[in-house]
Amino acid sequence: MIEVRNLTKRFGQHVAVEALNFTVNQGEILGFLGPNGAGKTTTMNIITGYLSATEGDVTVDGLDVLDEPLEVKKRIGYLPEFPPLYLDMTVDEFMSFVCNIKRVDGKGKKESIDRILDVVKIVDVRRRLIKNLSKGYKQRVGLAQALVGNPPVLILDEPTIGLDPKQIIEMRNLIRELGREHTVVLSSHILPEVTAICERVIIIHKGHIVAGDTIENLSRKLRGSARLSVRVAGPLESILKTIRALPEVKKADDLGVREPETVDVYVEAKREADIRKPVFEAMSRAGYPILQMRSVDLTLEEIFLQLTTDEAVERRVS
Amino acid sequence: MQAVFTREFKSYFQNTTGFIFMGFFLLLSGIFFTLINLLNRSPQYNAVLGNITFIFLLVVPILTMRLLSEEKRQKTDTLLLTNPVSITGVVLGKYFAALAVFLLTMLITVVYPIMLSSVGIITVSEIIGGYIGVILLGASFIAVGLFVSSLTDNQVIAAVVTFAVLLFLWFLDPVQQIVPAEQVAGIVFLAIVAVGIALFVYFTIRNIPIAAATLLVGAGIIVLLYFVKDEFYDGLIIKFLQWFSLVTRYEEFNRGLVSISPIVYYLSFSATFIFLTIRVIEKRRWR
Repeated sequence: MIEVRNLTKRFGQHVAVEALNFTVNQGEILGFLGPNGAGKTTTMNIITGYLSATEGDVTVDGLDVLDEPLEVKKRIGYLPEFPPLYLDMTVDEFMSFVCNIKRVDGKGKKESIDRILDVVKIVDVRRRLIKNLSKGYKQRVGLAQALVGNPPVLILDEPTIGLDPKQIIEMRNLIRELGREHTVVLSSHILPEVTAICERVIIIHKGHIVAGDTIENLSRKLRGSARLSVRVAGPLESILKTIRALPEVKKADDLGVREPETVDVYVEAKREADIRKPVFEAMSRAGYPILQMRSVDLTLEEIFLQLTTDEAVERRVS
Repeated sequence: MQAVFTREFKSYFQNTTGFIFMGFFLLLSGIFFTLINLLNRSPQYNAVLGNITFIFLLVVPILTMRLLSEEKRQKTDTLLLTNPVSITGVVLGKYFAALAVFLLTMLITVVYPIMLSSVGIITVSEIIGGYIGVILLGASFIAVGLFVSSLTDNQVIAAVVTFAVLLFLWFLDPVQQIVPAEQVAGIVFLAIVAVGIALFVYFTIRNIPIAAATLLVGAGIIVLLYFVKDEFYDGLIIKFLQWFSLVTRYEEFNRGLVSISPIVYYLSFSATFIFLTIRVIEKRRWR
């Protein structure tokens, strides 16, 4: 549905995003994840045609954003980071204005507004001035605006920012519901949110995509035999030395004593290597029995931190 | 365009700017009318119209300061720019909304000549000519204000700069009488323009060879013109300033003379600034 190829955006000397490539499939909910300033908003602004790319193309439904901007804009509903609301209008007036600029004409207009207000649950404030609404309601009016004209693609930039916990849950449910009929791209720097809503994530850091996969695959890739917690009976120094001597091992650290006469050791493999056997054999040769060995699972949070620390980025780039 | 126009027009009266504009304008024009026509018992309504053009300097910034700067500050420009409306439509919608408020106000001032007609003899054709002139002048000033408001996201800056630009346009006439008319002055002036263009080229593309080439071409043209047609430099600065003199052209209308060329001038002046505004907004995407 959305295809981004080699997308680069520079603001003067500053590179906001560089050589991004990804696709968003029809009917998918894609999470766009990254720390503040990673380039999420810039990318979204380019897809929606608010900014132009320095290099690369974006196509939506096979249409190029630059060649056919009006056709593309018809297919996208956009909720920017700051909901674009005219504060001196009532919700009804504002929705009617949005219908006019999206060419949702006379006949279906009223029903369509009623339906959208009902979906985002703001029917009770429809006659109030937007400037008098709370942040949560404003955010919902912003979402309502994006839904006008029933666009196949919804792009939501930090849709839950500034909401209270109850509203966040409501907003998430709403997005999940919308995801049944729309292709949704949403950005966030909050991980549980992405885990809760999205089927697939793209992690972006300093303008580069550092990972892009389903949440399941993403955590599988980085867990299993790659990181182990091992409990061994024996002296710490000697155990660490033996394990560190193995060629597959990247690092080994002391996790402290949890059981008398034993030590817990954390072992990390070099990428993707299965180190369970080598560790076992090395320990057995040295005569230190392994009492327990388990793999350390990574939560999305850890994956995220791992990928967005600079060391990780350098490793991927090189 | 229609949707933007309607919204903008309504918003003038939802957030008092429209009322402030109309109130201020009508108050000042009422004072002029009272002083010039009523207290002097004069039927010369066009003297009032002539003074009304001065009020424009003060009130047009009120009318235009918000137009695009506020969209940018409130980030509502995303709404307009990510929806299937053209930038031209947005800019024109806003321009016509400001123009509509202005025309509405001018319509109210029509009561003054009607009052006059009941107590004296007025020349209708002259007044109509005067009104056409005032409206064209106002439309041009609004286009300038619209353009300035697209350059900033601060209303106050937009208002102050618009006022300064309009004041500058206003003072072009008296200035014309004091600028030197000799050939040397013309050459110096053109040289300054050439340097200005070269600097502009340098700051936009940051390329010294191209900027230097521009400067050389400019210098070449100046020298060539001097040898081929040196009378070109006679009173060059005055001729140049006259291009921008909105107010001189208005005087004709005020005498009741309606001719095509000043009308075309005013319309193209407005069109130029509207076009520049569209360019500024389009260019924002490419920052």
